[in-house]
Amino acid sequence: MARSRTERAFRALLVLAVPVGAMLLILAGSTVAQESSPSASPSTTPTAPSPTLSVPQATTEPLPSLVPAPPLPTPLIHPGDRQSNSCFDCHTAVNPTQQTVSAQWQDSVHGRAAIGCADCHGGDPTSDQITVAMSPSNGYIGTPGRAVTVGICGACHSDIERMRASNLPTDQYAKYFASVHGQRLAAAGDTQVAICTDCHGVHDIKPVSDPTSSAYQTNVPALCASCHADADKMAPYGIPTDQYEIYQQSVHGEALLVQRDIRAPSCASCHGSHDAKPPLSTEVVEVCGNCHRATQTLYEQSRHAQLGRVAPKCWTCHGTHDVSQPGQRLFLHADNAPYDCSTCHDPATQQLRLDITQFENEADRRCDTCHHPNSTIYAQVQGIATTLADAQTAYSGAETRIGEAASLGMIVGDAQVALSEAKTSLIQAQAAVHTTKLTVVTEHTKDTIDKADIANGIAQGKIDESTSRRAAMVIVVALILVNCLIFFWIKRRLDRELPAEG
Amino acid sequence: MGWLEERTGLSPVIKASLHVRVPMAAQTFYFGGIALVLFAVQVVTGTLLTLYYTPTTDHAYDSVLFITSDVEFGWLIRSVHHWGANLMVVFVVFHMLRVFFQAAYKYPRELTWMVGVGLFGLTIFFGFTGYLLPWDQRAYWATTVGTEIAGGVPVVGEFLLLLLRGGPDVSQATLSRFFGIHILVLPLLTGGALVLHLVFVHQLGLAHPRKPKIRKPGSEAEDNVPLRPFWPNYLLDELIAWYILLAAMVVLASLFPVGLEEQADPLVTPDHIKPEWYFLGVYELLKRVPPLIGIMAPVAVIGLIMVWPFLDRSPEVLLRRRKIVALGATVLIVGTIALTYWGYNS
Repeated sequence: MARSRTERAFRALLVLAVPVGAMLLILAGSTVAQESSPSASPSTTPTAPSPTLSVPQATTEPLPSLVPAPPLPTPLIHPGDRQSNSCFDCHTAVNPTQQTVSAQWQDSVHGRAAIGCADCHGGDPTSDQITVAMSPSNGYIGTPGRAVTVGICGACHSDIERMRASNLPTDQYAKYFASVHGQRLAAAGDTQVAICTDCHGVHDIKPVSDPTSSAYQTNVPALCASCHADADKMAPYGIPTDQYEIYQQSVHGEALLVQRDIRAPSCASCHGSHDAKPPLSTEVVEVCGNCHRATQTLYEQSRHAQLGRVAPKCWTCHGTHDVSQPGQRLFLHADNAPYDCSTCHDPATQQLRLDITQFENEADRRCDTCHHPNSTIYAQVQGIATTLADAQTAYSGAETRIGEAASLGMIVGDAQVALSEAKTSLIQAQAAVHTTKLTVVTEHTKDTIDKADIANGIAQGKIDESTSRRAAMVIVVALILVNCLIFFWIKRRLDRELPAEG
Repeated sequence: MGWLEERTGLSPVIKASLHVRVPMAAQTFYFGGIALVLFAVQVVTGTLLTLYYTPTTDHAYDSVLFITSDVEFGWLIRSVHHWGANLMVVFVVFHMLRVFFQAAYKYPRELTWMVGVGLFGLTIFFGFTGYLLPWDQRAYWATTVGTEIAGGVPVVGEFLLLLLRGGPDVSQATLSRFFGIHILVLPLLTGGALVLHLVFVHQLGLAHPRKPKIRKPGSEAEDNVPLRPFWPNYLLDELIAWYILLAAMVVLASLFPVGLEEQADPLVTPDHIKPEWYFLGVYELLKRVPPLIGIMAPVAVIGLIMVWPFLDRSPEVLLRRRKIVALGATVLIVGTIALTYWGYNS
C-alpha cells in the first residue's frame, strides 16, 4: 500500500511537472539558449520546430530579438600547419563519392584559399596515419552537426584578420543570429532552419559573384524556394509556399529570371540575406526606396506619407511578391465595386487602420478601395487618371505616327529624340502620382502632351514629304516612259532600213 | 564642231568608236551597257556626296544624317548611290553570266573576260569599302565581319586584316583608308580597266551567240553574218534600256530610300551581325564548313573563273553542246543563291 501511495504521488507529481517543465523550457528558450553555444550542444538530429516562435509576415512594430547577442563562434583547434592536407591525399583514393567530394573541395573557393578539411572537420592533417589524423584527441569531429556548422563557419567569417586578405565582410555571423533563421536555431534549437551550407554549399562553395553559385543574384529566388516553396518544410511554420510562383510572374521576377537583369531584386533584396526577415510594414517604403529612390521622394511629399503608421505603403497599391507593371487600372475599379468603410477604418473605433489582408487581391488595390466615390479625393483621383490617360494617348499617337514615317523609309531620328523627351515627361507624370497631387501630375502631363505634339509634328512632316516624293516619282517615271516610247518609235524606223538577219 | 575639230583632231577617234557594226544576232540584254551607266551614275552621285561627307569617326555619321535629312535632294542622291551600288553588282554578275553561257569569253576574247572578272572584283570592293562610310551600326559591324573573313585567309590573313583595318580593330584608320580607296583608288583602277575592256570589245567586236570566231581582230566580218550599225541603231536600244533603268532607280529611291541605323558603337554588338548581301553566301559557307575551306573555296572559284577561257579551249559556243560546263555553272549559281538565302534567313 505504501508503495502504491508513493507511486500515485509520483504520478501526480509527474502530471504536474510535465506542463510546468514545458512552460519553463519555453521561457528558457529565450533566455538560456544564448548561454549554450551550438558547439556545447551540437544537434545532429532535426528538432521539431516550435510553433510558439513563429514570426508574423509584416508587422508594424519590430519584434524584440530572441537572441540579444549571437553565440560565440566555435573554431576547431587542430595541429595542422596550413600546408599539409593528408585528408585529401587519402580521400581521393577511397571511393568515387569521396573522390567527388575531394574534387569539389579542390575547385571550391576554400580549396583555392588553402582552407583545408581539418578547418571544418578537425583532426591532424599532417599525419598520414588514419588513427592519428582522424583521432578525436586531435580534434576530429567527423561531419559537424547543423548547429555546429554555423559556429565553425562563423569562426573564420567573423574574424577580421582572416577575412581581410579575401576582402570579405565579417558581419554575416552576427546578422545570421539577427535573422529569423538564426534566432530559431539559437533560441529553440530548430535545426530545420537554413544554415550557411544550405545556401552556399558544403564542399563546393563558390563566390557569390560566380554565376554558377547557388547564391548568385539570379539564382537566389530558386535557392530560397528550395525550402520556402516546399509545403512539407513550411507546414510547421504556417508560412505560405506560393511566393516563388507569384514572384516569377512579377515584373521583378521577369527582369531577374528571364531578362537576367541582376539589378532586379531577388528575395534577399527585400528580406535580407544573412539577416533574413519579413520586412516590417514601416520598413516597406525604405525597402522599395532602396531602388526606387525618386519615387520614394515623391511619396514622402504625399498626403499618404503623412498618415504615419497607418499610411498606405508601396504594397498597398503594388503588392509584394506579385508586383506587376503599373498602369491606368490601378486608379479605379472598372465597375462600381462595393465600398466598405471597414477596409480602412476600424469598425469599433472609426480609427484609420492598415490591414495588408485587405489588399492581398490585386483587384482590390485601387484608389476607390479606400476613397468613396462621393469624396473630393475620388474626384482628384479621376482628374489624375484622366490627365495621365490624355498624356499617354498623345504619346502613343506620336509613337504610331513615327512608326508610319519609318515604315515609309524616312529617317526619324529627330522625331524619336523629341519622342524620348515626351517619354521622360510621361514617366515623370506617372511617378508624380505618388505625390497624390493633381497639380503636380498635370504639370508633367501638359509637358508630355506638348512634347508628344512636337514629335508628332515632325513625323507628320516626314509622311507629307514621302507623299510628295512619291507624287514626283510618278511624274518622273511617266516622263521617262514617254521618252522611251519616242526612242522606241525612232528605233523601229531605223531598224526597218536594216537588212533581215540571214 | 569644225572649230572644236580643228583644235582637238578627235573626229577620227569618235568616228572609229561609233561607226562599228555589231552582229544582228548578238543578244547582250544590255547588261554590260547598264553596268557601265551605273558606274557613271555612281561617279556623279558619289562626287556630290563627297561635297558634304566628312570621313572621320566623329563626324561621318552626322554628315550622312545631314546629307539625308537637310541637304536639298540629298536623300535622292544618297538613295540613288545606294541602289546604284547594289544594281551594279547585280548587272555585272548578269553580264558575266551572259558572256559565260554564250561562250563569248572564248578565243579571241580571253583577255576581255579576264579584265571583266577584274572589274567584277573592283565592283565588289567598291561596295565593301563604301558600306563602312555611313559609320552606323550596320556599317561598322558588317565591316568587322567582312574584314574578319579576309583575316581568315591562310598565311596572309593577318596581314590582310591589318592592311584593311589599319589596326587590330575597325577604327578611324579603317574609315580613312576605306574612304581613300573608295573615292580615289577604285575609281581610277575601274576607269582604267573599263577603258581597256571597252577597247578590247571595240577591237574584237561583239560575239555571235551561235557562231564562234566571227571576226578576226582588225578585219571585217568573215562569215557573212548580218550586221547592224552600232550608231545609232544599237546605241538607241541601249539608251532605252538605260532609261528604264533610270525609272527603276527613281522608283527604288522613292519607295525605299536608304536609311541610317544608330551611330556605330564598338561597345554595343547588335543581335544579328551580317555582312552585305553579296557576301552572305561566303558568310553562310563559313558557318557550315571549316574556316580554311570556307575562305579558300570562294578564292579558288574566283581564280578558276578568271582563267577559265584558258581551260575551256573548245571552240563550241552552243550551250546545248556544252552540257557539262552548263551543269557545273548552274550548280555553282544555285549553290551561291541557296547559301545567300540561308545566310539572309539565319
